[in-house]
Amino acid sequence: MSTDVQKTTAKAIPSTRRVTISDSAHMPHDYSTTPGGTLFSTTPGGTRIIYDRKFLLECRSSPVTKTPPKGLPVIPGVTSPPSGDPTEKTQNGELLNNNNIPAPEGSNTGDDSQFEMDI
Amino acid sequence: MKRTRKSQTVTMTTVTGPTTTTTITDGRQCVQVQVNTLSSITTPVCLPPVSLSVCRQCVQVQTVCPGAGEHPLQYNYTFWYSRRTPSRPASSQSYEQNIRQIGTVASVEQFWRFYSHLVRPGDLSGHSDFHLFKEGIKPMWEDESNRSGGKWIIRLRKGLASRFWENIILAMLGEQFMVGEEICGAVVSIRFQEDILSIWNRTSNDQMTTSRIRDTLRRVLNLPTNTIMEYKTHNDSLRDNSSFRNTKISL
Repeated sequence: MSTDVQKTTAKAIPSTRRVTISDSAHMPHDYSTTPGGTLFSTTPGGTRIIYDRKFLLECRSSPVTKTPPKGLPVIPGVTSPPSGDPTEKTQNGELLNNNNIPAPEGSNTGDDSQFEMDI
Repeated sequence: MKRTRKSQTVTMTTVTGPTTTTTITDGRQCVQVQVNTLSSITTPVCLPPVSLSVCRQCVQVQTVCPGAGEHPLQYNYTFWYSRRTPSRPASSQSYEQNIRQIGTVASVEQFWRFYSHLVRPGDLSGHSDFHLFKEGIKPMWEDESNRSGGKWIIRLRKGLASRFWENIILAMLGEQFMVGEEICGAVVSIRFQEDILSIWNRTSNDQMTTSRIRDTLRRVLNLPTNTIMEYKTHNDSLRDNSSFRNTKISL
């Protein structure tokens, strides 16, 4: 694991974090997440920023992500700077520059759920 | 404040040039330094206002900050792209010249901006790779952060690279691996008849770390239970000058 150069004082890892739920609708849908989100504010060494996949995918639909990033190099076949060209599509018909598709899941292989596949 | 980076020597370098200090919403300070070269400077910084004395053992310079209202990542990451024409033989020198940075991201939103403007790996042609590495770590065996490290690799039949790449980098950005500072980056390698996913960590002989990475990979990629996973130290790769041959098989 990491070895910080600074010495940190030893602290017991807090074992419980209490979140009060009054309504079963507040329970998370995923079995493996806890109410109140998966942000662990009490890990030794300080706050660690944790995001689950679902949350990251939801952020994709924010309008901030539509504009191309500053300084994107032009590499044909790799990067897609804005061109407004309606014929600019990938093989799968997904428009590279107009990402109105909310979730990328299923748009490539046609599979919706994340089940096991033979690889 | 960013965590300190492990370092064996203390080097003092003075950088002069325009600087901008931004305080972002969670109280972290981000110092942007204008540099003349494109190579990633991310050397740690102690903060006097006029000129920057750069000394290791302190805070890391972030050359990019999250925008207002954006969700910060635990670490900044840099996208890289490399391509090799099959006729040219691989050598360390040519590898460094063939690989180029695409951009660095500090927030979830910035990540999506870059990612949405890159083709999916399954659509890359030829012998190509995308790399997503923590800022300051070059996706090369020789980088200081990689010298004692290694990587897990998963071989994929054609057609799967795009989806698996997306899932592995979301897990990495979202800190799902839970191995402290050990993760260095991830690579998707498009090759002739198969594609290969790799995840690099700092310390190859840290079995607890490598086991945890392997288990997390199984979970976040939904790998079938009989999936073969291979580990290779970067020292071994340097020795046989190959990324994917002569790996250790783990079942």
